[in-house]
Amino acid sequence: MSRIPDVFRRPPQTPLPVVGSAVRPCAPSGPNGERMPRWLRIALVAACTLILCSCRAPVGSKLSANLPPSPALPQPASTGPVLPTAHTEALQDSGARPAAAPMGPPGWELGVPLPHVATGPWAPPGISKPWPPDEYLADGGDGGVRAAVRDSRQVRGLEMEDTIAHFDTLDGQTIIEPSNQVLLYSPRFRSVRQVLGAAESEQMLALTGVSQPVRAAGQADVTLTGSTKQHVQTVRQIGEKAVTVMRTRQGDGAISTAIGLAAFDNGFKPYENLVVIRTGTYEAAERAWLARGTTAAITWTSDQAIQVMLDRRAASAVVRDEKIDTLYSVDEPPAHPKLRIIKVASTAYAEIGDTVDFTIRFDNVGNQVIGNVVILDSLTTRLEFVPGTAQSSLPASFTTQPNEGGSLVLRWEIAQPLEPNTGGVLRFTCRVR
Amino acid sequence: MDCWKRVAGKVAMAAILGLGTFGPGIAQQPPVHFWHPAGLPPGAIGSQQLARGGPLPGFFQPVEIRVPAKVLISLAEGGRFREPTPGPVRVGLLVGQVYRLAAINLPYQPGVAVYPTIEIVDRLYAPRGMETRFPVQIELTREDLELAAQGKFVTRVVYVEDPQAALPALGTGDQSWFDVAPGMDPLAVADTLGRPIAIVRMGGRVPDGGEADMGFLFGCPPVMPLPAPATSPTESKPKAAPPAAKSRPEAAPK
Repeated sequence: MSRIPDVFRRPPQTPLPVVGSAVRPCAPSGPNGERMPRWLRIALVAACTLILCSCRAPVGSKLSANLPPSPALPQPASTGPVLPTAHTEALQDSGARPAAAPMGPPGWELGVPLPHVATGPWAPPGISKPWPPDEYLADGGDGGVRAAVRDSRQVRGLEMEDTIAHFDTLDGQTIIEPSNQVLLYSPRFRSVRQVLGAAESEQMLALTGVSQPVRAAGQADVTLTGSTKQHVQTVRQIGEKAVTVMRTRQGDGAISTAIGLAAFDNGFKPYENLVVIRTGTYEAAERAWLARGTTAAITWTSDQAIQVMLDRRAASAVVRDEKIDTLYSVDEPPAHPKLRIIKVASTAYAEIGDTVDFTIRFDNVGNQVIGNVVILDSLTTRLEFVPGTAQSSLPASFTTQPNEGGSLVLRWEIAQPLEPNTGGVLRFTCRVR
Repeated sequence: MDCWKRVAGKVAMAAILGLGTFGPGIAQQPPVHFWHPAGLPPGAIGSQQLARGGPLPGFFQPVEIRVPAKVLISLAEGGRFREPTPGPVRVGLLVGQVYRLAAINLPYQPGVAVYPTIEIVDRLYAPRGMETRFPVQIELTREDLELAAQGKFVTRVVYVEDPQAALPALGTGDQSWFDVAPGMDPLAVADTLGRPIAIVRMGGRVPDGGEADMGFLFGCPPVMPLPAPATSPTESKPKAAPPAAKSRPEAAPK
């Protein structure tokens, strides 16, 4: 008998209050001892769970608790600021720190990092990076409404920043594959100005008066006394209902059915004169006859009679020797058309006016040929396509059309079908604006 | 007693159902960054931003201050203004603090000085090592300085543009901007178009008797000097039309 470890042992339970000879449960109960109804407890737990799930955590109180550990704790703002590492490095590189530069806690010259920059850009807990999204330009993927291809070969749902490819399979399907998303850090600033002055708040404060005489008005309505007489004449309706009689008579009848005989032509043939053939009942006494016939059938059907070709490939018999009939099939993996699109950019940071090179690699990673491969890239508003920079390693037709963001939709239509394990490369250049 | 219990139970159930119904609705707040008007005194919005939490306290946000050619600017530091320098000037400013500048040598207005303030109300989250490459760009245009010198009060809210709602115009060095009517809140308008980062105010106050006190300088919060950019950006060109007619039609606020 094994002993239970102490850590798994339950603590000694305090005895429950005993009323008479019955043990009262620990569930919430009223002063009179009645328990709260079960449905009320379940509803209470569900409501509390809903309330807790809908609460928002305060922004500031839990941020520091979720941040990664930092090699140096930041100093409070009242005692002095903390310098980011990059600033200090840039400052040391330039050697231009003036004598009056100040202001930092002890050790700031060495670049005491803030906790939120110790391991990269900070992001609020629970929000995936990069964050905030307004500082990044995104291009690629299929965000928002999913793109779809209509029967007229028109692509719907292609939004800004989307990069997709669609192709046709051998069985007539049109499949859409999105690319990955490329992010560029490139914040752009604008401003809103308001000009206020005394001239704009001038008001005429002269006293004004409005004289509007109001006369006493009276309205005399004369309502004449009137009366209306309505004569209602007594109406009587007399109806007669005749007695009707319906007589029916059903005569005797009989149904005659006859099933005609039907038979095989000439009955069973001699080699079919087996009980298993005629009635389907297998008898051991006929095993030898059956074996001879089976052998003959295999010989004729498998070796000399039928040669099966499926999809230009020799089919093999799946079931044979044991039975008379033979099932032919081609052992081929299921169709799995797949196009892989990978998009990369030449840089992760771009200022206004910089040019960025994009490369799209597409490969047929499926197991069948795909055709009508079209690759679409809807550029975001701040990416301006540089004309003449579109390239393709495979013969393709390249066209552009404006999109809703004031930029362009780049379209490559690959001329030839793509065999499995083949692919190509597209390149183009954009200017950040 | 039973009646009281029945009433209390019904009240409790109504409260629970009410919280469960309206709780998620309250939690789904609109994506608004600021709930305060831009007309508050300098520093009020920044301090409330700090109170809202986040990695804002103690962070020096790199800022690039651009001024027209020949205009000299000076940041208040240590109770007095530093040596005036031509723009652009790159410095690190604390989030939530208000900095006083002095702009002198204004074109066609010799001897006139304008004292703008810069309040950093948010920060950028640049990748590590890229903080100084992408500073917040604050432009003191020639027209703004002239208006301030004439006694106008100019408020300029600088915001990070939302890429999804960005204009396709190519940046040429000048910061794109537009005017809002006097009855509108520029902070609220900027919040609908992006994320406000800084508020620039100029005009209105000048040092009493030519001596700047600490109240006028907002306590002279610390400044972190940064190396000047390698290439000077294009000079801010004055606008030809009057301010009221310069509102960009493509960004007319509603």
